[in-house]
Parts: sequence; C-alpha cells; structure tokens
Amino acid sequence: MPATIEQDDKPQIDIDRSVGDFRYDVNYEFDAGVGLSEATIDYICDVKKDPDWIREFRKDGYRKFLEKPMPTHWASKDLENIVFENIRYYLSQGVQPKRSWDDVPEEMKKTFERLGIPEQERKYLAGVEAQFDSEAAYSNIKAAVGEQGVIFVGSTEGLHKHPEIFKKWFGKVIPSSDNKFSALNSAVFSGGSFIYVPPGVKVKHPLQAYFRINAQNFGQFERTLIIADEGSEVMYMEGCTAPKFETSTLHSAVVELVALKGAKIQYVTVQNWSPNVFNLVTKRGLAHEDAEIKWIDCNIGSRLTMKYPGVIMKGKRARGEVISIALASDGQHQDTGAKMIHAADDTTSNVVSKSISIGSGVATYRGLVDIPPHRKGCKNNTECDALLINSHSRTDTYPAIVARGNQNSFQHEASVSKINSEQIFYMQQRGLTEGQAMSLAVNGFVNDLVREFPMEYSVELKRLIDLEMEGSVG
Amino acid sequence: MSLSIQNLTANIGDQQILKGVNLEVPAGEVHAIMGKNGSGKSTLAKIMAGHPDYTVTGGDVLMDGQSLFEMEEPDERSRAGLFLAFQYPMEIPGVTIANFLRAAVQARLPEGEELEATDYYAELYKKMDALKIQRSFTSRSVNEGFSGGEKKRCEILQMSMLEPKYAVLDETDSGLDIDALKIVSEGVNALRSPNRGFLVITHYQRLLDYIVPDKVHVMVDGRIVMSGDKDLALELEAKGYDWVTEPALA
Amino acid sequence: MSTLIEDPTVSTSLNFTPSAIWPEWFRAEQEAAWQEYLATPAPTRKNEPWRFANIKAIDLSSFGSAPAIASEGKLINASAGLGEAAARFIFGNNTLVHSEASGLPEGVIVQPLDVAARENEALFRQYFMSQPVELGSHKYAQLHKAMLTGGMLVYVPKNVEVAHPIEIFHWVEGKNASVFPHTLIVLGDNAKATVVDYFQSADHAPAFACGINDFHLARGSKLTYAAVQDWSLETLAFHINSTIVERDATSTALVANFGGRHVRGESLSKLAGTGSNSVMLSLNLADGDREIDQRTFQDHAAQHATSDLLYQNVLDDNARTIFAGIIRVQPGEAHTDAYQKVRNLLLSNEAEAISMPGLEILNDDVRCSHGATSSGIDEEELFYMEARGIPRKTASRLIVAGKFISLLERIEDESLRKNLAAIVHKRLGID
Repeated sequence: MPATIEQDDKPQIDIDRSVGDFRYDVNYEFDAGVGLSEATIDYICDVKKDPDWIREFRKDGYRKFLEKPMPTHWASKDLENIVFENIRYYLSQGVQPKRSWDDVPEEMKKTFERLGIPEQERKYLAGVEAQFDSEAAYSNIKAAVGEQGVIFVGSTEGLHKHPEIFKKWFGKVIPSSDNKFSALNSAVFSGGSFIYVPPGVKVKHPLQAYFRINAQNFGQFERTLIIADEGSEVMYMEGCTAPKFETSTLHSAVVELVALKGAKIQYVTVQNWSPNVFNLVTKRGLAHEDAEIKWIDCNIGSRLTMKYPGVIMKGKRARGEVISIALASDGQHQDTGAKMIHAADDTTSNVVSKSISIGSGVATYRGLVDIPPHRKGCKNNTECDALLINSHSRTDTYPAIVARGNQNSFQHEASVSKINSEQIFYMQQRGLTEGQAMSLAVNGFVNDLVREFPMEYSVELKRLIDLEMEGSVG
Repeated sequence: MSLSIQNLTANIGDQQILKGVNLEVPAGEVHAIMGKNGSGKSTLAKIMAGHPDYTVTGGDVLMDGQSLFEMEEPDERSRAGLFLAFQYPMEIPGVTIANFLRAAVQARLPEGEELEATDYYAELYKKMDALKIQRSFTSRSVNEGFSGGEKKRCEILQMSMLEPKYAVLDETDSGLDIDALKIVSEGVNALRSPNRGFLVITHYQRLLDYIVPDKVHVMVDGRIVMSGDKDLALELEAKGYDWVTEPALA
Repeated sequence: MSTLIEDPTVSTSLNFTPSAIWPEWFRAEQEAAWQEYLATPAPTRKNEPWRFANIKAIDLSSFGSAPAIASEGKLINASAGLGEAAARFIFGNNTLVHSEASGLPEGVIVQPLDVAARENEALFRQYFMSQPVELGSHKYAQLHKAMLTGGMLVYVPKNVEVAHPIEIFHWVEGKNASVFPHTLIVLGDNAKATVVDYFQSADHAPAFACGINDFHLARGSKLTYAAVQDWSLETLAFHINSTIVERDATSTALVANFGGRHVRGESLSKLAGTGSNSVMLSLNLADGDREIDQRTFQDHAAQHATSDLLYQNVLDDNARTIFAGIIRVQPGEAHTDAYQKVRNLLLSNEAEAISMPGLEILNDDVRCSHGATSSGIDEEELFYMEARGIPRKTASRLIVAGKFISLLERIEDESLRKNLAAIVHKRLGID
C-alpha cells in the first residue's frame, strides 16, 4: 500500500505569468533572475547587506538543498512538477507587480464582498497596490510594540539589529538539514517576522503579519522566528481568508517558535493561496518547562500543501497542541498533520484535525507522536476526522505513534464519514438549497475548531467555507 | 385551493410502486391515508417532496394549481409551501436546531431581508413550550441522540415554524406511546386552519382518534381503492386490511 | 542452484530440493518460486511495509532443513487440543505424523496439500496461493512455496456444516530447523467450519518458521479460525494470511501470539462480495527481548461489507510491537462499515509499542473509524484488586488476562472460546 497519490499529468510549474486571467505591469528593480546558484545567494546577500555568518548559513543551506532528494517515496509525486531552474528566488518588495482595479476579475471583487474584507485590504490583496497602509489600521499593535518592549520587525531587520537574540535561536529549532525545503529556505529566505517578547509581558492584541507587509513580509521564502521569554504570552496571525493575487508558485516557508519557561505562543494561520501554488512549509516549536505552544491552522488554498506543525516538548510539563482544518477541493491536495515529540516527563500534546474533501480533492493526514525511552507521565490525544462530500474525493490517514514505557498514555481516534444524500434531502425539504444544506452540514462538522480561531478570522472562515461549498455543488 | 394528486404513477428503479393515485385534499381539511406496509403510502409522500431515488412516470400533483413537478429541487417545493414530516427524521450532527431552523426560515424571506434574531427566538421558544420541548434543545444537534418521541415532536416544531400550505405527515405516530402521541396530535391540531391542508399517512387507526380526519382513503398496491369518512378507519381496524384488499384485487 | 552471495540474509544451508511427493507441474512452479526468492531484494526500512521494522532480525543465514522427528509418539501425546474435534492432523518438521478424520461429514476433504495437488488438482490450482502477498513478505512467501512439503487443504462443500473443529498441529524440533506450515481453507456456498492451527516447538532451540494460511469463503459461508502460536522464544517466524470473503459470508479469525523471538504477521482481508464480513482479532504477549510486528489490510471491494479489527498487545521487559493497519475502501463501494482498533498495554519502562493505523478512503459512502491506544496498567484497577487482598503481581496478570479474555468474547463457538481462555490463563501463569 504505497502512501503516494497518483496525479493526472499536470503542466510543469514556473513563474507563471498567466495566473488565472490576471494582467499586470512588471518593473523589477532588484531581481536575481531565474534559477538558483551560488551566484544567486551572493546577489541576495549583497542586496540585503547580510553579515558573513548569514552568507555562510545560506550557502550551507544551498549545499544541503542540492544533496537531498525529493521525498516522493512517501509524498505526492506532484512535487516532481516543480522546476527549480525556472523560479525567481528573490524579488524586491518595492517593485512587486501591480495592476489597476479595473483589471481585477469580478469574482474576486465579489469574494471580498462576501467575506467582508475591509476596504483598505482589498486593493492590496488584489495586486492593485504593492503596499498596504498598515500603520493606520493596526495602531494597537504599534502600541504593544512600543510600550511593552516587544520587538516586532522583519527577519532581515531582526538579524541585523538584534544579532545576539537572533543568532541564539535561528536555525536551532529547524536545522537546514531537516528536509529539502527547509534547506532551500535557509538558502534564499527573505521576509517573514522576527518577534521577541520580554519576560512576563503578555501581549494583549494578536500580532498580525499584515503589520509588516511593507517590509517584505509576504514572499515565497519567508522565515519567521518568534521567541517568547519566560512567562510571556503572544499570539501571532498570518495569512487571510481572501484569495491573494500571487505570481510565484513555490512557497517554502520556515517558522521557528521558542517558548521559554512558562511562556505561551499561539500561532494562527489561514492559508488560501491560489490553486497553482505549491505550499511547502516547515513549522516547529520548542517548548521549555511549563511552556505551551499551540498551532491553529486552516488550509483552504494552494495546489499542494505539505505542512506538519510540530512541537518538541523539551521541558517538564510542557504542552503542545495542533488544531487543523483542511479543505481540499477539485485539483487540490492538502497533505497536513502534526508531529509531537515528548522529550520530557509529564508533557501533554493534543491534536485535532478535521478535513473535508470535495470533488476530486485529496486530504491526507500524517502524524507522528514520539515518546522516547524513559519518559513518564506523558499523554497524547489525537483526533482526526475526515468528511467526504462527493464520490471522487479521497482521504488518507497515516498516523504513527511510537509509545515507550508503561508510564505514558496516548489515544488516537480517526473517523471518516460523509454527508449522505438522505441528510441533504431532509434539509432541502425544509427549504434550504443543496448548497446551503451542504454548507450547514460542513460548518457543523468544523464548528468546534472554527471557534478556536480568533474572532477576526472565525467569521471570515465560516463565510469562506460557505463559498467553497456553494462552488462545489454542480 | 387544494393539493391535487392526479393519476400519479412512479417507479423506484425498474419497479413500479404507484400505479395511478388520485386524491384531492382541499385547503382547510385533514385527509388520512391508511394502508398495509408496501402499499406505497410512504413512497407517495417522498415523491411529492422530491426524493431523488424515485422517478415519476406519469400524472401530476398540483399544489393550489401549481404543478409540483415543475419545481425540480425539493427545496423549491418546500419554499412553495409543502412540508413533509419524515417517518425516520435524519440526524444532522454539528448542526443545531436553532441554526437549522433559522436557515430554513431565512430561506423563505425575500432576497435581502434578514431574519430578526430576537423575533425568531421569541417565536421559536413559544412553539417549543407548546410542544413541551425543553428550550435547551435549541443548542442540540438536529435529532442527534433524540428518542423516537423527541424526533417526532421536533418534526412538528419545524412544521410549526415553517407554516406550510400543505403538510404531509408520514407515519408520524410510529414508535410513539400514548403520551407522546397526544402531544404530537395537539401540535398538529393547533396548526389546523382554513388555509392549510393535511395529509396524514398512518398504518394504525389510533392516531385518528386524536387527529380527526375529514376523509379517510385506503391505499392498496399503489392506488387509492376506497374513500370514506372517519368511520371508515374504524371499520378497517375492526375488519382488517384483507377486507379491502380482496375486493380491490378482484 | 545459485545463491545471491551479496544477500547475507539468505541461508546457504536452506536449499531448494524438488520433492517427488509433488506432481511435475508443481515442482516446476516451486523452482520458479525459488528463483524469485533469490532475485527479490531483502526488505529495507525505506519500504513502506517495513517502516520501523527491525530488519536486522530478518536473518535466515543460520537456518537449515529440518530432520525427521526423533520421537513421533511424544509429539502426538503433547498435541493436546480441544476435547472434541472433527479431525486432527499433526505435522512434525514438515511431515505428517498423525491423521484422524473420523468425525468429518460426507464430501468434506481434509488432506495434505501434495495429495490435494494430485487428487483435486483443479481445486488446488484455483486456490493455492492465489492471492498475491502485498504486505511486505513477498520474498518469504516465495521461499515458502519453494520449500513446501507439508500443509493441509480443508475443503467443505456447498451446504455442509462441520460441527466440531478441525485441528492441525505444526511442530518444529531441532536446532536451526526450518518449517513451512500451510493451511488452505476453501468453503463452498453456505458451508460452515471451524479450524484451529497450533504452532509449537518441541524444544527451546532456535528455529525458523515460515507459514501461510489462506481462506476462501464462498457465498453465505462461515469460518471460525484460531491460530495459537507458541514457538520457542528463539524462533524467527513469519505468518502470512489472506482471507477472501464472498457475498454474505463471514470470517472470524483470531491469532494468538505467545512465542517466537521475532514474529512477522501479515493479515489481509478482502471483502469481495456484497454483505461480506470479516472480523480480525489478535492477542499478543511480548516479553523479554521479543518482537511482534504485524501488518494488516482491510480491503473493501464490495458494497454493504463490514470489517472489524481488534488487536490487543501486552508488552513487558524490553519487548517491542509494531502494528500497521490500512483500511482501504475502493471507489463505488457504498455502505461500508470498517473499524480498526489496536490497544497496547505496556507493563515495563523499556517496552515500545508502535501503532500506525491507516485509512485510504476513495469513496464517500463509508463509515470508518480507527483508533489506537497505549498505556500502562490503570493504577486504579490495580489498587482496587490490592485492596481486596490480591498481591500486585497477580493483580497485574489478572488484568492482562481480562483484556485478552474480553477479546475472546467475539468468538461465538463456546467450547473454542473456553479452550482459548484456558490457554491464555496457562500462558500467563494463572490457574
């Protein structure tokens, strides 16, 4: 039973100039050209004025990237459609392609309307403006940053201005050699956030990635590092429910979280990349004694997403949690899961994953729960449920639990169910259209999880799911 | 103004179930259909509602002059005023009664008009109280874990909130004890009005002691073979279905 | 006769020797199987069906052929089974040393495979190893076929019910001896039978056992099967099973693993007809340095089919168990109910239980669930027993026995159930 998925013949991917029927002007100020070589790395370092240790780090990442094979012996063979030579690895934010509002397709405008996206965000998301005036919109984040001593800058600024803290943890949670794509990211990373929360500081308002948009946050190879010092608390939100105008088709981000003793980090992601994007992300957190790391993840877009948020519980009584919703529509493959490593006693982890497969969509769950030898008092609970909507959809579940010793316990439950035609008929008899009936049932399925998302997202998320469901009904 | 079934024939797959049903339920009246298992009573109900498993092969059903079959989707017929109380109500995990009914009521409002939440809840609680359904049920998933009686009362609650023109009750009494039967019947009787017609499908006469029909029809082998007033039900109970079957097949 | 010199796991003393007991055409198939065995590369951890496996333990280099049994009488006496059996067969080192079939109804055929290959050739050809081995041990299945000289065919014709169990004993004796047990069960329409396989070592020596059991259930038939594996604690054992269930038929199979140093079990159930059912049970006791590695596959290829898997592992000392199970529901197979549950009870700090319950669902009209749990003994339960005066160690054993016995509840045949319970109690040291 191979754990691989057969894909229809898909065209090879490069920096696709014909995404949907979008049209835009191009003007590149800083452009490294297509393809990747040591020269590309040097170019990036020169432009960014990176210190030598980063140049060396990048080149080392590049070497590891070349050495490692594609993991297609277990992952989707669709990965073979990525043509690395045709991808642009660095493009300055200042001159991102943009277009006029008239050129934005009607459906996109309608989607913004339906989802209730604020006016000011629509133009940015639609690629009409390269910059987003976040200063006005997010003044409360500014306050937190200013008053409480929180550092919230882009990754480039982080490594330049705060090298001691940055260097201490950068690349330690996810080494370049972890996998082929973390190696690639180590070579060409640009953008992403660097956050440091001082001891005891509890950041009241969630920090949002949007705040950093102007400083090259949204890129193909974001690198985010969040350090919560002892006793501090922070929530970070990235992504959005609205589809974003996207020109590059390979996204390979790395997110490292470090929660020191007693600290708490919640990282919320809503991913809705356009359906031609390969979204390959490595996310991992290191939780020290009494610390807590929670990943709240929703994957709705992209062609192929591979993402297995993980927590290494390295101090006693640490806690790791992954809450995940995945929606796979026609032509999409959401390959997600969780990794929990119980590297200390009395640690607990919880994974709740709900996936919905519609049309020919494929949802896969891959989990790993590892309890090394001599641990005691560790507990894990995993629940993964899959909902199938049409007869062509597919769902696979491949968890692996390695339990050692008699002092730990874990529990894993998974179920697959469908929305059956009798239920739909019943709801239709009450006056709901087929689409409305489906979205009611689907929302019912994910309701508990949607509530875990911050208010700002959960309303949009529900609407987005409704939209997807209506779209799926023939 | 009536629900008029005219020469209706229908199949499930290749098998013919309805072999020419003729029946008219005027608005304001309650009609009962009785018949043995397999006579086609439930099938008739499902076909009117638009269940996808069945195919209509001939005839028509007019609801206040409008052909039901011109409306392809079950929800169109529902919004046009037809309600079916299911014999086996479906469980819908994750969808609360409050949300479900709100969506159903909202679906009937003209485009752009939003349902006022306070009005909706006031109405809902009033009707739940009348049917002796605990108010806490609003946050329970539709029919999930409900007893037979609770499911049937929930069906009547839904009918009460949706205010249909014509309601078809498919063996609403099956699986109910006397107390539950009384509450359900009270609920139905409370909805009787000169503008509403009821078609009550039942196997046992007992229900008709509580929901007293204006007319009783007997269905045998996919057809209505006999009609009469409420006393026909008593006669049927006393003599058994064979009494009807034999002359019908003769 | 060439040996793949690069493959250290291939034994140089285990050689293919065609035997006159088989008809010519089968000997030719065995020769081909031997070549296939040599040509197939040894498994590595990168192969999905061998994920987490202890590949080093799969080393056949010291094993050789099995000599004739020293004392047949001793083995026969030691073959204690159920009180009443319809038939009883005893193999010692691949040779049939005893057969007794007086209780079988008319038309039932229970005979050694070589006899079946001659007298019931059509039946043999149709069913013998007809299901490809897909769960990882194809190489060893080919070795088995090449080396096979024993094995039984159990055939029950249409509408015949065999009231009492058919028992087959498989013994191995001698240091580094190799045995290749095989049980082929074919039930005709509406037939019914109970078959029990016992696998035992006459001594404590290291040995190699590579067994296959295949079941074919025709329409409406019913099979109850139990395998009690109690090889010596130094035995390397493979037990490969396939169960094909046709329309409205039901198979209930239990595998109890008490022995072996390294056991690799592969069980496949194919629900091939509408309304078919397969219940797959296993109870496994792993202690010392022993390892039990089980891979299963519930393959739903028909509508309204049900499969239900329940495996209970109990681990102590440095033992290790692996469970990897896939439920696959093919497109178009509506109204499927498939369940899978593995429970791991770890009694020591060093024990390790790996669970990989898997689902591959290509169909939307299914109800499937799988679950895996792992824990130590519930302290509350232990305390309750101690408070009643039962010493901790005994309480522990009672709790373990309880877990196994509750799994046995799924076996309908009362006397079989009682017998298995007695074996469980004996093995756990409880009277």
